[in-house]
Amino acid sequence: MTNASEEIGERIVELLPRLRRFARSLSRNQHDADDLVQAVVERAWTHLAQLKPGANLASWMFGIMKNAWIDNRRSFKRRGEVALPEDSGEHPAVSPVDAHATLWSVSEAMDKLPEDQRLAIALVLVEGFSYKEAAEVLEIPIGTLTSRLARGRTALAAALGKGDGEVA
Amino acid sequence: MNYDDETLMAYADGELDEARRAAIAAAIASDPALARRVEQHRALRGDVAEAFSKVMDESVPQRLVNAARGGSTLASAAGGKVLRFPTRSGRAPGPPWRAREWVAMAASLLLGVFISWRAFTPSDPGVMVAGKDALVAHGILARALDHQLASAQRGEEPVLIGLTFKAHDGNYCRSFILRATRTAGLACRMGDEWQIPATDTASPSPGDVQQASSVAPAILRLIEARMEGQALDADEEQSAKLAGWKQQRP
Repeated sequence: MTNASEEIGERIVELLPRLRRFARSLSRNQHDADDLVQAVVERAWTHLAQLKPGANLASWMFGIMKNAWIDNRRSFKRRGEVALPEDSGEHPAVSPVDAHATLWSVSEAMDKLPEDQRLAIALVLVEGFSYKEAAEVLEIPIGTLTSRLARGRTALAAALGKGDGEVA
Repeated sequence: MNYDDETLMAYADGELDEARRAAIAAAIASDPALARRVEQHRALRGDVAEAFSKVMDESVPQRLVNAARGGSTLASAAGGKVLRFPTRSGRAPGPPWRAREWVAMAASLLLGVFISWRAFTPSDPGVMVAGKDALVAHGILARALDHQLASAQRGEEPVLIGLTFKAHDGNYCRSFILRATRTAGLACRMGDEWQIPATDTASPSPGDVQQASSVAPAILRLIEARMEGQALDADEEQSAKLAGWKQQRP
């Protein structure tokens, strides 16, 4: 049993980069996003008994993050709207300036989306969930998911200057 | 052949079945405008994914690694059997879930049930009364259905509103959760009252707690059967409330 929970601990460790990425697509500030990840990990341990055998740990934890974010997004945004790592010294500069600029503009555009569209975009476009998986994580009908995804995409494309209008 | 944007999006995302995928692939081959729209979807997806991919390269803060492993320490201390924190058992049922999607609430309530099932007094009989044809919302439930916006909820309200949508008959329906009794339900506007076609009470048994997505499939199916188009977004919900939940005549 102890080995089993240690194994789950390691599986959660493996999920941390994806959980951090999902959190960053919801909360632009790196520290706020990491606070969100920490809250999710703690909730997961508290409620681990709810995870059905054979259920997908990643989907389950993304669902917890969705709930934690909707519950408490004000507290996870208390540091404001800073998009970039404040202390890039702590994190090796893996991204050139233009990549940071892309992150900044995309995340700024995502920040303007309604919450339900942002969640759909984050799960499908950022995390690569299928529509079915994303609908399950968000606990909504798949038609609602695709509608939110389509509207979110239209808004993002417009904000990033890549809407139909520019091309047509 | 003209395809709507959602279909092209699903095509770009690889979400269509083989027959429709092949049909659109053929259409694209002879229609540059169609091809461009698909390409826009792909390009946007690529940009968004790329923007956040950098996070995967960052080193993970040690505090998160510790938290991820923290549970195993607790489990060891408890003989490897109990995986929740014993000191939290006296708390309210789990975290303070907020119902944007009503199913999430049903799930979260159920999640907490096995911890604090006996701490609650059951039943608040004043919230639904027998109407002419069906159960009708009354008291705090009726007031919440009339006035409460899902987009403005804090999660602590006695009634939590989930999805609001227009049914095939043009009337508005809203899903809800009664926190005190852990009742999930659907209410649909009929004239000046909210009729309740269905409720589903979470029936907890400690050894058989279901995972979130399987909590109230009956209600979810009812929503899918009745919903015309899509669930209302925050602005539409506000407008419908201001219009007194009356059917919109063209």
